Order: sequence, then structure tokens, then C-alpha cells
Amino acid sequence: MSANSHETNVRCSSEAAKTFVDWYYRAINEGKPVAPGYVNGHAAYDRAGHPPADICINGLVVATPEEFDKLLEKQRQAPKQPDPNKKRVRYEVEAYDVHVINADYRFGAPQKMLDLHSPTDGMRMMMALSVMGTVYFGTGRNKDDDYWEKQSFHDRFILVPNWDSLERPAARGGRRYLVVSHNYRAN
Amino acid sequence: MAPPTGPRAGGHVNRPTVRGARGAGVGKRRATSRTDRDGDVSMDSMTKPPTGPSALSTRGGRGARGGRSARSSSRLTQNIRNYVSEHDGAVRNPKAQFNKVFIRIHGLKDSKAASNSDGGLRSLLDFLERKSSHERPITFGKGVIRGDDVWLKVNQVDAHHLLKLNGFTFAGAPLVIEESTGPIPEQGSTGGSETKTSDTKEKLLAVLASRYNIEQKLLDLSALGADQTLRTMGAFENKALAEKSFKALMRLTATRYDNAAEKESAIQAVTLANNDILDVGEVFTLAQTLPRLRRLDLSGNQLQDFHKLSKWRHEFRLLEELHLVGNPLTNLTNYPTQVIESFPSLQILDGHRVRTPEEAAEALKAWFPVPFPRLPSNLRDGENNVASTFVANFFTLYDHDRLALVRQFYDAESVFSLNMGTEPASSPYPNYSRNLEIIGVRSPSAVQRLFSGGNVIAELWARLPATRHISLEQAGEWQIDCHTFPGLADPSGQGIATGLVITVQSRFEEVDPTKQLVGTRAFSRSFVLGPSLPGAPHPYRVVSDELSLRAWVPQQTSATAQVAPAVAVPVPPPAAAPPAPPLPSDLERAQMILELSNLTGMNAQYSELCLAGLANWDFNLALRSFEEKKAELPPEAFAAPTA
Repeated sequence: MSANSHETNVRCSSEAAKTFVDWYYRAINEGKPVAPGYVNGHAAYDRAGHPPADICINGLVVATPEEFDKLLEKQRQAPKQPDPNKKRVRYEVEAYDVHVINADYRFGAPQKMLDLHSPTDGMRMMMALSVMGTVYFGTGRNKDDDYWEKQSFHDRFILVPNWDSLERPAARGGRRYLVVSHNYRAN
Repeated sequence: MAPPTGPRAGGHVNRPTVRGARGAGVGKRRATSRTDRDGDVSMDSMTKPPTGPSALSTRGGRGARGGRSARSSSRLTQNIRNYVSEHDGAVRNPKAQFNKVFIRIHGLKDSKAASNSDGGLRSLLDFLERKSSHERPITFGKGVIRGDDVWLKVNQVDAHHLLKLNGFTFAGAPLVIEESTGPIPEQGSTGGSETKTSDTKEKLLAVLASRYNIEQKLLDLSALGADQTLRTMGAFENKALAEKSFKALMRLTATRYDNAAEKESAIQAVTLANNDILDVGEVFTLAQTLPRLRRLDLSGNQLQDFHKLSKWRHEFRLLEELHLVGNPLTNLTNYPTQVIESFPSLQILDGHRVRTPEEAAEALKAWFPVPFPRLPSNLRDGENNVASTFVANFFTLYDHDRLALVRQFYDAESVFSLNMGTEPASSPYPNYSRNLEIIGVRSPSAVQRLFSGGNVIAELWARLPATRHISLEQAGEWQIDCHTFPGLADPSGQGIATGLVITVQSRFEEVDPTKQLVGTRAFSRSFVLGPSLPGAPHPYRVVSDELSLRAWVPQQTSATAQVAPAVAVPVPPPAAAPPAPPLPSDLERAQMILELSNLTGMNAQYSELCLAGLANWDFNLALRSFEEKKAELPPEAFAAPTA
């Protein structure tokens, strides 16, 4: 069995996926920026010359996560709608699944992390995460609120370790994994 | 959710060890009890002689005389269990139900307590519990009023104490208490006054049916005050009654349809002309019942100004055509502009075009969030078209030869899993679904349902239903996005390799292995491709393959077209033609397919086609059309399905 399906990695990747999914969909449902969750602008990756995150939304390549945040913000605008419960876009996750695709991830890794963590530690993981659910347009904050339109969506992320935050495990907050690739499709 | 019957306040307070009470969480009335010198509980309600129902008596005030902590806690449990089982109407635990009997009590309606806010139910229960608690405290849980009777579900052992009270007088009315075989009738089923309600309902339904025009999808509610049936019913005698009747009509309209989409496609136009409407508030429920109405006629009413239209200002976002001729407000100076502004989709007002369809679509955008535009496939796989070649190969082989597919692209390090949202239990997938949202991240299934290594994957795929993906030539039905990324492990163990991530969305036909049923399923599939080990059949291999499945829902346009037949039109009562039989359920369909297949020798797939086509699930019709077209059928109609 390869390190990718080592039990520790399976467990840690599942937990990391849950943390990410919880954070990401809560943020976009509450209109908070998600750009900090992408690899762009993170020191360790910038130093190593990592390319910016690849974001492709319904076939449209979006240059930066900030631009994606703007798209999300624009989507939520319904200037004539006086009722806040008919303005929201709400994503409801119905299923997600994650695979470790490189248990020995090294890009931009500080030497300390390579020395400390072996590929079966559930730390240096590159992961492919897919999420499926329903997105409601023109709806309220709560599940089962009335909506104007809905679509099924599928999000696929590739996540890599956030060396800056993994190096300092005591530091709270800060995302432990960052998005290097994001593909969204809804219909 | 607090149980309606709290712990019997007295029983445990005097006990130093209140085992039963601690942790029950519902001991809020404890403070009202008092203990006398020898530690027994004495409560006011116990010392007073019973005086029939009192407005002040509360169920929590009923005391358990001399209850013991152990019993009181077990009774508390019992009460909670009673409450739970009665509350949701379903027998959750049949074991706990075998000693229950149903008691029907008649006479509450004639008592003075009937005018209480709860119909006197609470007072009656207080009375009965007080009267039957001679030997030991007895509680009866929660009763329900159905028609003129009160129904109780009580313990067998308590029942005879209760039956002894037959003939007692409660608040001036004699009670008839008898055991019944149950079950408790549903709310709204036949009972004295309910017969009248259902009679009214039928009459109103007849009115609706006679006013529905199926060709135009029009519900004609014009001049309701002049309607003969409604007049004889007195439904529109005065303004208040008319508003109520209209609400009832709307409610009934809504109940005729199973879902919003069906309702939307069946009723696209309504006329409310000539109803003397002064303010649309009087008929506001129309907006709630038919929010996606396309055409509305309000001509010949008495709407004075825009304010009288304002209650609908944020409704009918899809309204395309509106008629207001004959209302005083049409004479106001800013008449058309203000109305056009209020209804973003409005294109025709009083017969004049006021917006083009494009302008209307644009105006609507200001009202609701708009989904991201949908662009075709975005393939960025370099010069060699690796992704297009892979995808074309992959899905052809997945449909025809999965073993060959695994041998080509999967090795010992490849990982596969599939996941789906909620799915009926009969699905061929759930035992394999690695949906972490449902199974949880720490579940052993999260490990077991991750299939690692080509052999394991091939073994699983052999057990999955046969599929047929739609042709890749139908480019509009596929969205394939891909790009390369750095950071994969090089199989040599040294350095970093470039990976290719491909995300595919489309649908496939699937054959249920147990029932041989054909169905369509939507899927998303994400592949991560990386370089192969030296000596592998292909320069690249599948590192990760995640398959997400969900029910396939046809696009809106085709859905609307499909609902066109009179599936749920308001049907006139028996006098006219009998209503069309409801479409059979999936199970019934499966049986019909099997039956037809047995009779004709056609395989399941063709049997289903035959039934689902013109016959529209009419078995005899399907059989007849088979006999007619037998000669034209291709030989594969009788061949065993290809797996």
C-alpha cells in the first residue's frame, strides 16, 4: 500500500477536508472573503516561486482569489430586492470526499518540516477534495427557506500544506491547508 | 421540546437522594410543592375537593400523592415515552405499545369547559386523572380531540380505572367513556362538523374545476361574486367572507399539485377581472399560491392608486402580461412607468408592449442573485491534448471493458472512491459511497470505502452497475475542465512532477443490476493524472479518481414541456369524467416492466421504452402497441442486456 492510502493519511486528510469544507462554505454563505484560503500571497510559497492558484468557475478562468471574491460579492447583489431573505446565495453541502495525491509533498517546504515529518505523518499531504451540493439563489439564511432558483454544484479543490501555519502548531487560526486549484461547475 | 407533563412535583422533593429528578431537566415546578411534617408532599390542589374544571388548574399542578423517587423517575420516563409516541403519531417502539388501549370519551363538547381555549381538553384530563387516582396516581398522557370525541391512549392497567368513570358528570355534561379498538382517527377525517367542511371543499373544488381552462393554462376567477354556486353557498355575502373564501380557493388550488413546478406549468394565467377589488391586499394570497404567474388580468376592478397595488410590489417577479383597464389608477399621470417598474418581467401592459424579452431579463437581474454564467469546457492540457485523449479512451472503456481500463491507467498507487448525496436504500451504490458528510470522517468506512490499487478497483468496478455514457460528440452535454499543476511526487522517488487535473461533468445511463432497470444519472468525476512508473503501458497513470453521483434532473425547459398533460388539473367531482389515474411509483413501474418483459420476450430496456413512450405507463396500451409494432422491432430488443 502506498503512502497515499496510509491509514494516518486517510484519517488526517478526512479531518482536514472537513475543516476546509466547514470553513469555506460558511465563509461564502456569510459573504466573508475566501481569498486567504488560497495559496496566493503566502510567504513560503511565494519564496519558492509557486504559480498562483488556478481558479476556474463554470469554465471561466479567474486570475486571483480576490477577483473570485468580487464575483461572489457581485452575485449576491440584488439592488432592487428589499428583502434580505431573498437576496442570499446559500450553498448546502451534501457530499464530499478527499484523496491524498502526494503524501510526500515538498514544494516550498522548509527543511525543518521535511526533517520532522515523514510521508505517513498526515502532515505533508497534497489532497484532491471534491464537494457536491445544492446552491440556492435568492434565499434566506436558513435551510428550507424559500428560494428563487437552485442549481446542483460540484467543487473540486487541490489542497497543499500551509507551511507558515504548520511550522507553528501552537499558533491558532490560520488555515492549515491552502487551495492551489479550484474548479467549480453548477447546473 | 419539553414534555407536556413535567415531573410530578411532589414525589421526590422530600427525598434527600433525588436520583430520579437529577438530570431530568424538567423540574421547573418543584418550587411550588410543600412538604408537611412527616415529609409527605401536600399540595393545595390535593386538599381541596375537586370542583370540576377551573381556569387556574394546570396539568403541572396535579400532584402525585406519596410518589417515590424511583417510581417517579420511571413514570417520568413513561410519560416522555408516551408523549413522544403520541406526538409524532408513529409507533417508534412497538414493544412499548403492546399494553396500550385506546379510550374514546364523548361529552366534552356539551360541557361548560368546551369554551376553554383548548376546547376543555386539559380540564377534562385533570378531572379524569383526579377521579381515577384513588389507589395510586394515574396519568393519562396527552389526549387529542377528534370531532366530538376525545381520544386517549392509556396503559392497560389504568384503563379500567378510567372506564369506571363512565357516566360521571363533567362540567354539567355526562361523559360516555368506552374502550375502542383505535387507531385514533386522523385530523380532518369524517366527523360531525367535518362532513360539512368536506362538502364545502367539494363545492369549491367544483367551482375551480369549472373555471380552469387547460389549453390556455388559465384559472378564470373573474366576477366571483356573480358565481351561482358561490352565491348559493353564501361564500361572497360580505367582504370578510369573500376574502376568506378567496383564501380557501387559493389553498385548494395549491393542494391540487404535488410540487411547485407542476403548479407553475399548469396555471400560467389568472383573471381576477370584475371583482370590485379595492386593494390587492384582499387577494394577496394569489401571490403566495402562484408566485410564478405569467399573465394576470385585473381589469374592471376598483384600484384607485398605486398604493392599492403596493402589496404586490415585490411579488410576481415573472409576470409578463398585466391588464388593468377599467381601474381608476389607469388615469393617473405616471401610470404606466410606475407599474412597469414594479414588475421586472412585465412585457405587455394593457395590450401594449412595454419591454422586450431581453430588457425584461435584464430588469429581473436587479432583483435576485444571478448564477455564474455557464461556459463550455475549459481544456488547458498543453500541446499533446492528453486530457481529451484520456477522457475519450476512459469513458469508452469504462462502458465496455473496465478491466482493460484498469490495466492501462491504474497501478498499485491509484485510488478510487465514489460518493453520493442521499439516495433511496435500494440504490446499488450506498455501501460504497464514501460521502464523508454522511459517514463521518472518523468512521471505519472512511478507510474501507477508499479503494486503493488497480486490482481492488477492478474488483469493485465489476460490481458496479453497467453504464452507457452519452457520446462525447455531444459537446454541449459534457463540461471538461483541466489544467496542469506542480507538486506531484515523481515515481522515481526523486523530485517534483507535474500533474494534470481533469474534472468532468456529464451523465450516463445505468442499468440497475438487480431490477434490470435503466435510469439516467448525473455525475462529476475528478481525475488526477501523474507520470507512470517505468515500464507501464502508458506514460501517465491515474493517481486519484473521485466519482460523485447524483440524481439526474432534466433542464428546466424540457421539464416544463414534459408536465404538459393533465396530470394534476383540478378535477371535477365524480359527475364528470373520472380523474386520470396517478402515474405509478418506481416499484410499480419495475413490476410493470418485468410483467411486459415476461409476456413479450423483450428485454427490460425495451420493455421500459415501450411502457414509458406513448402508453404513458398504461400496461394494456403498451401491450397493444407491442403487438402492432412487433415486426419492426430490432433483434436487440429481445437480446439479453449487455452488461
